[in-house]
Amino acid sequence: MMDQILTYESAYQELAEIAREIETESVSVDVLAQKVKRASELVTFCQTKLKSTESEVNKIIAQMESTDPKP
Amino acid sequence: MANSLASSINYIRLSELSGKINAAIDTSFGKSGFWVIADITNHSFRSQKKYHHFELVEKDPDSNQLLARIAGKAWGDGATRILYFETVTGQPFTDNINVLLYVSVQYHAVYGLQLDLLDIDPNFTLGVLAQQRQATLDKLVAENPEYIKKAGDVYITKNIRLKFNAVIQRIAVISSKTSAGGEDFRHTLQHNPFGYQFYIDEYYTSVQGENNADQFLNKLLEVFYSGKPYDAVVITRGGGAQTDFLIFDNYKIGRAVARFPIPVITGIGHHKNESIADLMANTQTKTPTKAAEFIIAHNKRYADDMLSLQHNIVIKSQQLFSRHFQSLTSLNSLVVNHGRNMLTGKKDELTRINRSVIHVTRTVVFRKKTVLVNLSSQMLSGPKIIIYNRLNDIRQLVGSLKTFEVQYLRNKIGYLGHFRSVIKMMSPENILSKGFAIVKSRNKITSNPDDIAIGNDIDIILSGTQIKSTVKQKSRYDGSDFNL
Repeated sequence: MMDQILTYESAYQELAEIAREIETESVSVDVLAQKVKRASELVTFCQTKLKSTESEVNKIIAQMESTDPKP
Repeated sequence: MANSLASSINYIRLSELSGKINAAIDTSFGKSGFWVIADITNHSFRSQKKYHHFELVEKDPDSNQLLARIAGKAWGDGATRILYFETVTGQPFTDNINVLLYVSVQYHAVYGLQLDLLDIDPNFTLGVLAQQRQATLDKLVAENPEYIKKAGDVYITKNIRLKFNAVIQRIAVISSKTSAGGEDFRHTLQHNPFGYQFYIDEYYTSVQGENNADQFLNKLLEVFYSGKPYDAVVITRGGGAQTDFLIFDNYKIGRAVARFPIPVITGIGHHKNESIADLMANTQTKTPTKAAEFIIAHNKRYADDMLSLQHNIVIKSQQLFSRHFQSLTSLNSLVVNHGRNMLTGKKDELTRINRSVIHVTRTVVFRKKTVLVNLSSQMLSGPKIIIYNRLNDIRQLVGSLKTFEVQYLRNKIGYLGHFRSVIKMMSPENILSKGFAIVKSRNKITSNPDDIAIGNDIDIILSGTQIKSTVKQKSRYDGSDFNL
């Protein structure tokens, strides 16, 4: 796949598009397996990205709160 | 030499002279009093005895030179009136105030000429100060239109339009070295409960007395030319009489404050009136402590904003994450469920199509088979039936032929009989028997009368008998015997 420059935003949009296609059954069965596989990759990618961002943000927030002069 | 002269000159003792002066003054002035306008100087007050000592002076308004000076005192009722004056005006009775006094003139052998203060008019002092102040304000507006504008009752200056930096930390303080106000200000700032740091530069000057205006102005310029990035300039002064604030009603100082490029905060320490410097300054507070509290509150607001921003960031980012996780999960389950449903649907569809293909195929084959069977049975039975039918036809034909033959013959016999009887009827014998006769001329049967002429011999054959006769007469016959 073309994951090399995948951003969360583009991945999410692609995922939403696949979900929409599948929901409206506008996807052909020929590529269904391919689409679902891609969707699962995208979900994993997004979740991983989100989790790592969240932990990073939590770290920063913890830092912010520890340097807070007036707790 | 003086001693020797003394005996030859008439003299009186000093006390006698003072007695005469006293008598003269008493005669001239008596107990009557005068309303007098004067400035107060060298004032002192003994609070135990409630005894005021001061001097009344009048200065030339242009040159500032003394025109008159008389000592004065107030006690008893006079001291009570001063207390009332202070209460009404908010203006302590002290040096350098211009007042309207009701005095009596007294002379004392030891203390000399004195004015006894009987009453003091508070309205006069208020009026004088207010007039001066208003005149200065009008002049400021008139002469500095680009820096000072009046909008209704409010003055808008360049300094007022300045915005404070987010945090006020570098502060230039203009105060008196000995002023308690400056100390209050520093103390309040440095002991703020939030641990905020301040960098305070002191600019000492005398902040009392209008005469020090130039010195004060120079300090303000010093702040400006220091080039330091001050967040604010604070002018403090603690306590004192209203006239002590006259420096803050000074035109030059008012103008300098209005034009100053750094926000000015005043904490001049008075409660009754606003000085012109207060009006021109970005922010006015009542006391140095209040000025410090204002700065702390300003910084606190910034800190609070920061904290609430931080708080918002924490909450919003958590919300954002949870929303994204949720939408990912729902998209995921949507893909999974719909994908599965879609597959199931397609599978069902396939099964259905398969089933219907089988069914339709069977039906078609059966139908074709039936048609074929029908066809073949038709093929089998058809000829037989045809032959049978033909045979039947022939049989019927034969039958009817037989029937018709007899009939035909019968008919023919009938016809023949008929014809025979007709012929029999037509036969000459029959006709002859009915009275008709055959006429022969020259042995030929004739029906034409023209063949027969009179005198000719004719044979008449009548009912089996031949009669030979000769024609005697021939005439036309019109009888109707044969008309049927």
